[in-house]
Amino acid sequence: MTATQEKPTTTATTGNGKRPLGNRIYGFLRSVPTWALWILVILWTIPTFSLFVNSFRERDAQRSSGFWNAWQDNANGFEFPTLNNYQEVLFPDVGAGLGNALLNSASIAIVATIIPIAIAAFAAYAFAWIEFRGREWIFIATVALLAVPTQVSLIPLLTAYSQGVHMTIPFIERTITLIPDANLAGSIPAVWLTHTGFALPFAIFLLHNYIAGLPKDIFESAYIDGADHFKIFRKLVVPLSMPVLAAFAIFQFLWTWNDYLIALTMIGGNREALPATIVVASLAGEFGAREHLLTAGAFVITIVPLIVFFALQRFFVRGVTAGSVKG
Amino acid sequence: MDRLIVTVVGIVATIGISAIIFYGANALFDLAETEFPWFNTAVGAISALTVFGILWGNRILATPILATVIAVAVGAATGYGLGIVKDKRTRLYVGLGGGLALGVVAGVFVRSPYWPSIDPVAAIIGLAVGGVIGFLLWSLTGRKHDLMPRLMIGLSLGWLLGAWLAADFVLSLDDDGNVTRIEGGGTQVEAIIAAAVLGLLVGAWIGSVPFPEKIRRAEITEGSRKYIFLAPALLFVVGTLVIPLARTIWLGFLTGTPTNLEWTGLTNYGDIFTDPGIINFENWTSMFESRLFWGAVVLLILGVFLGRWMGRSGGTGLGTGFYFGAGPLSLLTGGAVLIGFAIFVAIRGTIANNLWWIFSVIIFSVSVGLAVAVLADRSKGENIAKSLIFLPMAISFVGASVIWRLMYVARPPGDTQTGVFNALWVKVGEWSNSTTASTIIVAAIGLVVAGLLYLAWRGWQADSNAIAAGSLALVVPLAWLAYRFLGPGIGGFTTNSAGEVVANPVIFIQTAPWNNFWMMVVLIWIQTGFAMVIFSAAIKAVPEELLEAARIDGATESQTFWRVTIPQIFPTIGVVVTTLIVTVLKVFDIPKVMTNGNFDTQVLANEMWERAFTQFNFGLGSAVAVVLFIGVLPVMFINIRRMQRERLG
Repeated sequence: MTATQEKPTTTATTGNGKRPLGNRIYGFLRSVPTWALWILVILWTIPTFSLFVNSFRERDAQRSSGFWNAWQDNANGFEFPTLNNYQEVLFPDVGAGLGNALLNSASIAIVATIIPIAIAAFAAYAFAWIEFRGREWIFIATVALLAVPTQVSLIPLLTAYSQGVHMTIPFIERTITLIPDANLAGSIPAVWLTHTGFALPFAIFLLHNYIAGLPKDIFESAYIDGADHFKIFRKLVVPLSMPVLAAFAIFQFLWTWNDYLIALTMIGGNREALPATIVVASLAGEFGAREHLLTAGAFVITIVPLIVFFALQRFFVRGVTAGSVKG
Repeated sequence: MDRLIVTVVGIVATIGISAIIFYGANALFDLAETEFPWFNTAVGAISALTVFGILWGNRILATPILATVIAVAVGAATGYGLGIVKDKRTRLYVGLGGGLALGVVAGVFVRSPYWPSIDPVAAIIGLAVGGVIGFLLWSLTGRKHDLMPRLMIGLSLGWLLGAWLAADFVLSLDDDGNVTRIEGGGTQVEAIIAAAVLGLLVGAWIGSVPFPEKIRRAEITEGSRKYIFLAPALLFVVGTLVIPLARTIWLGFLTGTPTNLEWTGLTNYGDIFTDPGIINFENWTSMFESRLFWGAVVLLILGVFLGRWMGRSGGTGLGTGFYFGAGPLSLLTGGAVLIGFAIFVAIRGTIANNLWWIFSVIIFSVSVGLAVAVLADRSKGENIAKSLIFLPMAISFVGASVIWRLMYVARPPGDTQTGVFNALWVKVGEWSNSTTASTIIVAAIGLVVAGLLYLAWRGWQADSNAIAAGSLALVVPLAWLAYRFLGPGIGGFTTNSAGEVVANPVIFIQTAPWNNFWMMVVLIWIQTGFAMVIFSAAIKAVPEELLEAARIDGATESQTFWRVTIPQIFPTIGVVVTTLIVTVLKVFDIPKVMTNGNFDTQVLANEMWERAFTQFNFGLGSAVAVVLFIGVLPVMFINIRRMQRERLG
């Protein structure tokens, strides 16, 4: 790979008029990098495309030939394209009941996107424009938590959701309840809370980068006009920060929609509350009988991110890059 | 349909309630400046509600609803009183009265198991300690505040400790909160006294705070903003990350069932590092028997020699005498990949797997991502190419795992292969067993090799060593391929006992140790888009003047790239690598969905999950999580240093 990227950039010895054979071969070979790019693009697209095609094929067709043979399905006595797989996987009386799970996914993703944005926007504003002692250090400590793996929080959080938080005061051995047992384990609110907490370091970092870069003058003139921080935030910062808010919203929506680990841990065995990723993953766990549904199931959970991605790609890319290049 | 309505209502209600709480907090503090009595009323009511809510949550109150309602009313009344009275002495009386009333209410409603038997000695000691604390609080803050409120805070705390927490209770409750054993214990009178004294002390504290003037009230409104703005964020960060992290570290030192954990020191860590499933050096010498290793050695030596030779003129070597260009670097990268694989094929176990993941995903995602970013830069269809490479970033790991399982499917040898890789592999096997097909292929390879050799020669003549070296390097694998087609054969076939050639697909997912790599491919597929987007942004951010200056000085495009662009985007490479380390270290979904850690593919995140949530060994699970955390510590450290430099100068 590194060898080929060199070639497009070297100036060719070009002859005018009729070019000798050697130069033409040289010219052809020098177009290899462009080819290489498109070959890579095709390689990168094949997996998704194969899922897309297979999801419209009948069970036996999927089992008897590869996706590139789909165009021959009708000749072989199969129906193609067919929506049977989708029908089966979406409606609970026939198959996996992905319909309910999609509702759960939507509920998880929407709430776990909006609440962190609101919380992080206020915090980012405070870190950027309100003076207080220890501001830099609190900010650095918060953002440093960005790298902490989710796994380190799972056990204590799950215990807290299922049993509440209790503390034994040392020396006098009295146990007091800090948070009563709210029986959250196995419910969607547990996932909301967890996602919100885990999203904040990145959200604050991303929004702070942007909000801190807003021109100082507008804050000063607003302040002189008698607006306080709350008003400045509502009337100035939110409208001006829309691009970065959108960027984070898309990022977080995709993250929560695609999440598997947190939902699996916090919801566990409660079938009613499971999001779509877990249902599809459990379909993948059972080999054989319902394997054909897997393609349709996987495509259903993929299509939502893909729509979001293609519709709002600009913002998504901004979210991904802003987090890294500036930082 | 019902579910839809419930879901929508749930979403709207959650977001609405959160917004109202937040807006309400800001609106409340707006009142401090303009409508102080009402602000104070609300603060009084909320404080009483908080205290009684805590008592309620701890099941200390007999009739919690009634008690809380009364308490909130008393709190509100006291707050209103302190909001209008300005005279110093009257304020103290209002405070004392309100505190006493709240204390008596609390004492009356405390359930009998919680009646304390006051120990006078403990109470007096508590008060004394509290007094000292209050005095210190006052003197350490520079004595700029009044002594009285500080002293009262200290005394209240002291009394709380001495009279309540150190007292004997009836206690011993069963799971339902019923009293099972009665001994010691106090009387209701004692409870009322203990609560009333606490109430008086707190009342004295609040009552001795002077009435805030207009300027001070404006400061309250102004100063409240930072707390309101930051509180939810910090609460969540501390509650879901900081405290759980501390608790996980603590749990890592315990063993036993979740309900019965005991301190056993480093036992869990000992178990981890002696478990051959987690780290296994047993076969490390087999590394030296693998072709990978020796191939790597050859590549590395070639790379070093080529680099030295190309950099012999000195000028381009950045003073090191080594040529940092495509030829030597691709050889060195190839060598590094092979040697890494040789190591991770020989040293097995969960931790080795994780390191292998990090190694492969970083090397391939960064190099392919960088290559795509460079190739696509300003080429035709740049945006389409980039967005198609980036697309997997939007797909869930679960979805990606399902997609790639389809790619890797292996059907029994006689059947048609439906997975792309096995279909190709078996096809290649057929070709290499057919004289016609292999002749055509070898001829084609010959043509390509001829072209490459010509290219190498032209590159040599044009003094472009990179092209020459790159082309020559490509000849080697092609020649090897031709040899395989002519000689021993290549592809998915095998010869059975009857001497017939039969198809032989690769069982990608189940054959260790390479199944690990096939799963890494999934993450590489996803993360290359990430690396590409960031490199692309960085390349476009390289100042045009720099490139222009290099060109004017007569640098070729290749030299401009390696001498100007790469150094400019070098910090970005660091950022991508650190981000990838964190992402890869906690990879969970892909192994979970594809193999669930079977067939030698366990990784730390899944190991942790298995130990904690299927075996319910919280101690060992936590210890594995801590190992993961230690893995990201260097990254955290680098990030902190970078932010420190940026923000603190």
